[in-house]
Amino acid sequence: MSPLSQVLLDGIFAGGTYALMAAGMALILGVVKVINLSHGAFFTLGAYVAYALAERGIAHPGAAALLSAAIAFAFGVFLGKSFVNPIRSHPFALPVGTLACALLFEQAAQMVWGPHPLSIETGAPWVGPGGLLIRRWGAIAFLSSAALLAGLKGLLATRPGLPLRLIAEDEEIAGSLGMDVEAIRYLTFGGACAMAAAAGALLSPSGAVTPTMGRAPLILSLVVVIVAGMDSIGAIFLLSIGLGILGNACAYLLSPQWSYVALLAAVSLLLAARPAGIVVLAGRSD
Amino acid sequence: MLPSFRGGWPAAGIGLLLLFPLSSPDAFFLDVFTTGFLLAAFAASWDVVGGIAGQVTLGHALPFGAAAYACALLTSLAGWPLPLAVAAAILLAAAVGAGVGTLSAPLSGPFVALLTLALGEIAHEAAAGNTFFSGPGGYAWGGEGGIPVALPWQDAPPFASYYVALCFLCLASFAMLRFSRSGAGLILRAVAGSPITAQASGVPIARFKRLAFTVGSAFAGATGAGFAIHVGRATATDLSLELSFQAATFAAVGGRGTIVGPVVAALVLHVLFQGLSLPPAARVLLYALTLMVTLRFFPGGVVGTVREAAWRVRWKNGTGSFRRRGRGRPGEGGS
Amino acid sequence: MTALLSAEGITKSFGATRVIEGIALSIAPGEPVGLFGPNGSGKTTLVNILSGLLFPDAGTVRFEGKEITRLPIDARYRLGVARTFQIPHPYPALSVHEALRVALAADPGNRSAGEGARGDEEGAIEDLLSRTGLFNQRLVPCALLSQGCLRRLEFARAFACRPKLLILDEVFSALSALDEKELLDLLLAANRDDGTAFLLVSHNPPLLKSLCRRILVLEEGRIVRERRV
Repeated sequence: MSPLSQVLLDGIFAGGTYALMAAGMALILGVVKVINLSHGAFFTLGAYVAYALAERGIAHPGAAALLSAAIAFAFGVFLGKSFVNPIRSHPFALPVGTLACALLFEQAAQMVWGPHPLSIETGAPWVGPGGLLIRRWGAIAFLSSAALLAGLKGLLATRPGLPLRLIAEDEEIAGSLGMDVEAIRYLTFGGACAMAAAAGALLSPSGAVTPTMGRAPLILSLVVVIVAGMDSIGAIFLLSIGLGILGNACAYLLSPQWSYVALLAAVSLLLAARPAGIVVLAGRSD
Repeated sequence: MLPSFRGGWPAAGIGLLLLFPLSSPDAFFLDVFTTGFLLAAFAASWDVVGGIAGQVTLGHALPFGAAAYACALLTSLAGWPLPLAVAAAILLAAAVGAGVGTLSAPLSGPFVALLTLALGEIAHEAAAGNTFFSGPGGYAWGGEGGIPVALPWQDAPPFASYYVALCFLCLASFAMLRFSRSGAGLILRAVAGSPITAQASGVPIARFKRLAFTVGSAFAGATGAGFAIHVGRATATDLSLELSFQAATFAAVGGRGTIVGPVVAALVLHVLFQGLSLPPAARVLLYALTLMVTLRFFPGGVVGTVREAAWRVRWKNGTGSFRRRGRGRPGEGGS
Repeated sequence: MTALLSAEGITKSFGATRVIEGIALSIAPGEPVGLFGPNGSGKTTLVNILSGLLFPDAGTVRFEGKEITRLPIDARYRLGVARTFQIPHPYPALSVHEALRVALAADPGNRSAGEGARGDEEGAIEDLLSRTGLFNQRLVPCALLSQGCLRRLEFARAFACRPKLLILDEVFSALSALDEKELLDLLLAANRDDGTAFLLVSHNPPLLKSLCRRILVLEEGRIVRERRV
């Protein structure tokens, strides 16, 4: 077995799951038109839910993903309705406020579970051709997130997804057609948070569970939406896989912290090179 | 400007703070206040960038930590005398600020926050995860343990630290207040209020944004060097996102753009939360909660809301030809 | 006579849509020129390019014979090309007086003169305030100004640089009769006494005819007609 192909495989699995989170970020950007810096906290929430379940002997990816998605949806709806919606037109309050949510959750997690890295036992991996280790959770995570993304793509392309597309395009028209724009906004916010939490739950066994583990996926999602935009779920999926491989390679060749630094450097360079930022928000100034 | 800040209240506050150590409190409280003074100066320096110039930075710990590390490395490793090292540290912080300001000048709104956050986190990861140097006796320096500062004295009396920090806070806040009320400060407030009108009035906004970052970072650097001297070492927490976030919290709670407001908020919140002897995690949690509540009820800023109310009372009947204008915000409540 | 402002071959696209194509125009010193066109004809884009808020994909803009195609709006203001916005974006927390101080601070002559210029600056502000009829509102924060006062402030801000060319984007739309009359008189006085040229963008033909000697008609990104009045 060559270590590089193992790194590649794990990177694909992880990246495919990150795509679920990045698609959530794109949804929030498109529909709520907000950069949500607390998105990473929901990823962390999912991972801790998976850990807490595993500690009680229920180390099952489906159970972890469903439970954490439900919890995150509830919190996300609350956050979207009671916090993000009232402050979303204020340029100072939004980034600082969503960062406050993220730090609030990080510190709460640290008080409940402690600052030390925790890990989840998931049993022996399958041994594939050439001695390649196929981690069970990784494979399930990849397949289920691919299925969920395909479902989301289908939803957006058909009639039930019409309100989302319309609000992303033009809120006033959507409002004048009698849609409850605000409700759709916070439901979308909650749904996107649930996607982040599910990704966190599914990916939790592949690394250490720590209070700040959500920061790297947050930056990854930002890089993905800046580069791939919000329109194409396929582009988000492929780019996330690319970044997942890159991150895994960084972690393997250097150390795990360097994949975070590489993502931070990527987002800094992107912003320095493309001052217009993300197109949807830049166009809002008029 | 709120009239109360021009009156005697700050003087009364300074008098009380000068008196406090004479009431023979225990050393713990003196230390809480000393750290509070430094944090307050840091919050005021955030306000120069984030309040007056409106460039919401989430990486203000970067110049703070850079100066702290410079101070530690220059005294311990290069053997520079302390005053020289502090001066170099402040210059470095100002240069860092100018660099960040140059990169973020073309950006607007949340992207400034995003870029500064990313740059600050890069510096934090680099400092936290690496032991760069080995000091005397083979101890590894750097990483979470940080780097010691070589001080010409041993165990400064808490009294002395208290008064020096208080003196620094007064001088630094006064200087920043003067800056905010100068011609450059007026232009920065114009850039914060409406960049496009400022630009159409002939203001080269990129240059003024850079100026705000440079000045604010120089003061942050002075505070960082002072903090490293007070604690005796520079650690990775000096560069952390939590520290940048605290500065933004103090400014938001105290009122952005007033310099004095963030100073007061920093002193009150820090002494309150630190005086309760809570674990650090609980403190940051309380800061986050305080900030979220403040933002939820004053999304346009505490001072903005209060000032607007005062204006309306003052100008409603003041001039005959003056009419009130409906203040609908675009994009609010689209339904 | 050399042109004050001239533009040649100005072309601009957003994405795949070409908004204006190959526009050429020139404005003589002191000349009042009108620009007329239906919605979506590219008026705003052209104004943004001439005032330096946007840069064209192709073509050149010259001012007093000097190329300024890629000079940003703040540098053009300091040269003497001022523009007003159809929708004013005021500084919410600054008073009218402070807003004008910002505009005067950008004047290089004013800035280098240092402390001695403070009296001149105060005099210049008072002059602008009385010309635009804002003297009673000088201490009012911009956030509380009425729409008419905001338009007056836009004029005062534009006149602060002693402009050679004013670019006025729909300044007379949606104003009360009094506001409109006073601002019209102000504009005509500046044109007559100081020889200020202006480019007035409007979709009100009678207004353009009464003010301008020449009217350019823009349709689908091209100047299709030029009418002399």
